[in-house]
Amino acid sequence: MAEERRFLSASGVPIALRRRQHSASCRELAVRGPRLQLRSLSAATSAVWLAAYGLFALSENSMVLSAAIFITLIGLIIYLHFVKIDQESLLVIGSLGIQVTSSYASGKESTTFIEMGHVKDVVINEAIHMQKVIYYLCILLQDPEDPQGVSEVVPLFQSSKPRLDCLIEVYKSCQEILEQRKTAPQSS
Amino acid sequence: ENSPAPLPERAIYGFALFLGSWFGFILYLIWAYVPETWLFSLGLTYWPQKYWAVALPVYLLVAVGIGYVLLFGINMMSTAPLNSTHTITDNFAKKQQQKKFQEEAIPALRDIPISEVNRMFFLPGK
Repeated sequence: MAEERRFLSASGVPIALRRRQHSASCRELAVRGPRLQLRSLSAATSAVWLAAYGLFALSENSMVLSAAIFITLIGLIIYLHFVKIDQESLLVIGSLGIQVTSSYASGKESTTFIEMGHVKDVVINEAIHMQKVIYYLCILLQDPEDPQGVSEVVPLFQSSKPRLDCLIEVYKSCQEILEQRKTAPQSS
Repeated sequence: ENSPAPLPERAIYGFALFLGSWFGFILYLIWAYVPETWLFSLGLTYWPQKYWAVALPVYLLVAVGIGYVLLFGINMMSTAPLNSTHTITDNFAKKQQQKKFQEEAIPALRDIPISEVNRMFFLPGK
């Protein structure tokens, strides 16, 4: 079963959280940001081309115009493939681990898997980020030999930066799955 | 012992600094404004170039302006990134000793682990 709810990100853009329950111990939570808008793309392209035309009018060198077209194309491809993240999703499988996927606008997907033995907890942490204090969800990793200490912190949803109301929903869903591993310990 | 009270020695230091700073200021004005020929005729020849009378204050003011930007930048660089464990805990919290729980007494102050804090805030009814 799937359900989708609308929220706001930390900077005010609308995002959508989609929750799917695949089984009793497997849940997928996906946060989707807004698609690349035609108006911002046209604005950026027009600005670059106007600047190039201004340079051409000053310098009478037509290479400036071809260079501007080239830069716009290459810049758009790099932006779509490396920068613009459309959807970030979290797949929590109770006995196996947690999988974090980022999907870029060009279709590229980058995935990280963390096995359950390394996961200490999923918490909402607050930290200073660029003159603001933001809430963000993060996975606390532990060394299997030292269950008391936190060895690493993996922040989630870095590019969509949901606000606290969305994070609380994701936190509650994750905790329901993570609690099951305490009540039903596996023999490894 | 050290105390911030006004003492006679401190009054004397303050007055000596006051006289010294006035003397330094008058000397700087003489060096900057009096023409070189007049100073030579008095026999005072070994002065730095008058260029420095303008350059040093300019250097100082530019350094103060850059200092604002530098301090801001140093602050931003020392802020722990989002993926560092310093946002979760630190050495004092790891090594704290647990005090025994006493009935009807206020519990001792301690650093509560973040998992427990989260459960209390965000999971209702626990």
